[in-house]
Amino acid sequence: MPETNNSKSGEKNGAKPKKAPVLSFGYLLYDLIRISAAPGLIIFRPKRIYAGKKPDFRGGMLIVSNHIGFSDPIDLMMLIPERRLRFVCMKEFWASRTSAFWFRSFLTIPVDRENFGMDSFRQITDRLGEGCAVAMFPEGHIDTEGNPIGGFKSGMVLMALKAGVPVLPVLLTERKKPFGRVKAVFGEPIDLAAFCGERPSFAKINEAASYIIEKEKALAEYAGH
Amino acid sequence: MERQEIKAKLKEILSLTDADSGLLEGELDEGLRLREDCGFSSVGMLYTVIGIEEMFGIRFDSVGLGSFVTVGDVVDFIGEKTK
Repeated sequence: MPETNNSKSGEKNGAKPKKAPVLSFGYLLYDLIRISAAPGLIIFRPKRIYAGKKPDFRGGMLIVSNHIGFSDPIDLMMLIPERRLRFVCMKEFWASRTSAFWFRSFLTIPVDRENFGMDSFRQITDRLGEGCAVAMFPEGHIDTEGNPIGGFKSGMVLMALKAGVPVLPVLLTERKKPFGRVKAVFGEPIDLAAFCGERPSFAKINEAASYIIEKEKALAEYAGH
Repeated sequence: MERQEIKAKLKEILSLTDADSGLLEGELDEGLRLREDCGFSSVGMLYTVIGIEEMFGIRFDSVGLGSFVTVGDVVDFIGEKTK
């Protein structure tokens, strides 16, 4: 019976959460690459399509997307260049000191998929509560066979509910040509607190996950699929 | 906190999860395996841990949720934390 965080700003027990700093040494490499890659946006920027109103990209939000290729995180970063996205990634990417340095610099949050711990869960909800945009691929793997979207893990619902932030569904489509532009469809932010209520049962959490999958699937028609 | 009290509260939480309800009748069996017997999914386990943290006012830090094999393991952990 996890308690839903109903505050719009990620408040915990009435206390305002610390906001993520606007500037920090920790962002240096990430921002340098963002700036140096900016000219590439002119050619490769994904095409944004909105299924409804244009979402407000400010504040804490959990961005959930389908996962169709290794370039998806880069596409998402180019889609929302005004935000620093924190990607949830498997901890195997942090295995060596060098890769850990790079993945840390890119502000990723490592999770152990085999033995998930509350430390990772809290890292994600804390970042969301601080007003960060956290992006994840809830299918947990890359689908290269064009299967229908499915198997979103319900954990994303618990994360968004605990942090009190909306879920923003995004649908990425495949590149038609090697250097072509990706089309990405944004759904409207989903307020799970309103959907799940004060103390949702596990069945309600699963229902919310199914609802997000349906919303994600519905985005395909806007992409011309 | 008494072991019986922990088990009663834990049962209350488990009854809201995807655990097999038949196994939760009567007193909670500490030998029940969370995944194999109760049919817990990883998200079910996460849901349970959040429920435990809120109900008992404890934190599951630096411990993977897969480290708990049986209901008894969870009861032991709560007992340690609420001492």
